[in-house]
Amino acid sequence: MKIIVLLGLLGSLLFSDSLDALLQEYKSTSDNSLRTVNEKMGHVMIYSQKEIRLMHYTKLNDILKELPLFNINTNQIGLTNYSLTGSKTTTSGFFRFFINDHEISSGYDQSTSLSWGDLPLDFVDHVEIYYGESSFSFGNETGIYFVRIYTKSALKENSSEINSWITSTGANSQSFTNSASFENGWSYLMFFNQEEVKKTTIHNGQKLNSNGIKHYMYVDVGNDTTKVNVGYTDVSKNNYTGLSFDAMPTSGESLSTDFFINYTHYFLDDKSLKANLSVDANNRSYDETNVQGIAIAPLITFSQFGPSGPNRYSEDLRFIKTNAYLSKSFDVENNSFITAINIKNKTYDVQNRESDTNSNIGRFSPFDEETISSLLLQDSYKLRDDLILVANTKLDYYDRNAYLKDNSETLLRVGAIYTPTENWGFKSFYTQTKLAPSFYNIDYTNKNTLKLKSQEYRFYTLEGVYTQGDSKFGITYDHVNIDDFIYLTPIGFINVDHTISTEGLIFDYEYSFTDRDKIHLNYFTSTLSESVTNSTKGGYIKYMGGYQKFDYFTSLIYRNGYDYLGLSIPDSFDMSLGIAYHFTKDLSCSIKANNIFDRSTKSLYFTNLGMNFFALDDNERSVTFSFRWVF
Amino acid sequence: MKVFILLLTLLSFIFAENYTFLVQPYSKEVELEAKIIAEIATASLHSKIKLFIPQISEMEEKVYSKYFTLSPKCEDANFVFINKNIEEESLCDNASRLFFTNNYRKLLANDKYFGALFWNKSRPNIVFSKKRLEAKAIILPKTFEQFIEIF
Repeated sequence: MKIIVLLGLLGSLLFSDSLDALLQEYKSTSDNSLRTVNEKMGHVMIYSQKEIRLMHYTKLNDILKELPLFNINTNQIGLTNYSLTGSKTTTSGFFRFFINDHEISSGYDQSTSLSWGDLPLDFVDHVEIYYGESSFSFGNETGIYFVRIYTKSALKENSSEINSWITSTGANSQSFTNSASFENGWSYLMFFNQEEVKKTTIHNGQKLNSNGIKHYMYVDVGNDTTKVNVGYTDVSKNNYTGLSFDAMPTSGESLSTDFFINYTHYFLDDKSLKANLSVDANNRSYDETNVQGIAIAPLITFSQFGPSGPNRYSEDLRFIKTNAYLSKSFDVENNSFITAINIKNKTYDVQNRESDTNSNIGRFSPFDEETISSLLLQDSYKLRDDLILVANTKLDYYDRNAYLKDNSETLLRVGAIYTPTENWGFKSFYTQTKLAPSFYNIDYTNKNTLKLKSQEYRFYTLEGVYTQGDSKFGITYDHVNIDDFIYLTPIGFINVDHTISTEGLIFDYEYSFTDRDKIHLNYFTSTLSESVTNSTKGGYIKYMGGYQKFDYFTSLIYRNGYDYLGLSIPDSFDMSLGIAYHFTKDLSCSIKANNIFDRSTKSLYFTNLGMNFFALDDNERSVTFSFRWVF
Repeated sequence: MKVFILLLTLLSFIFAENYTFLVQPYSKEVELEAKIIAEIATASLHSKIKLFIPQISEMEEKVYSKYFTLSPKCEDANFVFINKNIEEESLCDNASRLFFTNNYRKLLANDKYFGALFWNKSRPNIVFSKKRLEAKAIILPKTFEQFIEIF
């Protein structure tokens, strides 16, 4: 294979212009999106611009649903939600999402689901997913999975682009991107998107839906040393199963608007001093009506007739996050140091909260302000050319109002990266991190739990990679222990009173036939010390390729079935298949069949505070038609 | 020079392999930029090239020095590649040297530059100004004709 490619290349170089070949290779290299990878941050998976384009991923979830040791579900509100292997959580505090330098999770529950979940990828250049990081390099909040979304560069685009897609279910999206660079070195990129969400399921003969509309706006203005990012999104949608006792609300709607501005400036000639300031404002409203009652944990009352909740509930909340970050990197002999300070202030304001029986409920908890001051230090020491040792520590000091006591927490991580030959590489980390309870956790604390504690994660990971020619094979092992896991029972959050442990093994193999044709296989298996409420095994096989003006792509994503309280959830085989045609370099269209076997993953839901469980499909079978025009 | 670049490109394909971990700073894009600039400089000048890049980074210095003799001062160079936002006044005059930029608008606005390597629609492009090539008596190979614009 290599000889054929080599002969082809030789011919192309002899009979065509080498400058053209260099330009093509320059583009191809740029599309591999490797310039931002930081191996010291953990175990990384890269979704490059080339892969996003060839696989025709249109939304962030197209990528995330492939990830090993990771499950994507739909929660009660109809929002996409991310869970660690074997478990299903309602909100996902342990995944941190960044658009460039800015962390986009909610100030309320640390989840991205409502405002920024399932982001359109039309303005995204590439995505890096780090497993095992603990926010040491960013000075931000802690987590387990770090999803870094890098937007397209105005300097490389310098154009306008229209993207649109429509599915057989009626869901549709329209995007417009415009970018330009100027003589003075400044450049900008603007992105606007509107998406109509259509998701309908029949449960007990009643139609549940989370239909709604989303808008996104993103502006990136900058030059060599300064970057200003502004983001805005609003989402309005129906409540799906909502929080109703019978999981069938009479009516209900969620609204959320989120705005942020992020300013970054690099000082010194080598840009080693970095300052970052940001402000986020989030408004969210929720209302629901149901005759059988609504399960708002702090409002549930118990009587001889059983539990009861309000028949109508509405709330209007506002959250403000302000963040300041300053870091300095420097080298001393074989040591590369990064030191940083970060201060984050979060406030939570109840504008209105009422039910049919109380028109002024107000705050559930007096906890409405938190300031986190963090100090971090990382050293990567090059012991030998083939061995790098990494050690970092982070001290977080939480200053909280109300009854939660102020406390400080120390996080640490040590690791090594060993590359004995060009073909072999090994990487291992031990991490100890803590995830503090959010405003949401405290609001919805089980009344019998006086004070929620931070969850403590201790995990070690080992990764081995072997490459040969165009093949790459990798194995990753992880062992995680979690103390004081914050778990949502039907009547509120508790700290689980014992250590939860999980082990996982990931196998990964990829082979590039040519620059344009690639096959990728992944399989993972895991164990969990608790009863499982989600898949524990999974994998995918995907192939992407092209011939002349055509691209073709297919993937099969597998998640294993499981039993939970008498419910038997079958294996899931989510297969998609598509083809794209490029009329010109700038105009293309594609057609993609999604979930061909109609064997989507399922999510568990409950009624009557966990008395009964049922499962609903996460995705429907559909066909998507899309087009892209660059001008 | 051209044969040397061609051989390096070929060798990089022969030994093209997937990486295990990218522990060293990633330099492949700078490497390709340097190769392209080397092609252009070799075709434009017949004397030994002394390249000056204002505010050159550590990585650029390491990579570009494989293909060029780097000059620490603009005055000593015969080819200047401006790929950062700098004060134009700080540069030496253009009488005896060639100026190349990575900014198309800069190329249009300032006749000091005879060409640019820049990105548009996610693709790298090269443009030379026909009038400025003529004014500097630069004769490029025929294979470069597709990159020459009439202005």
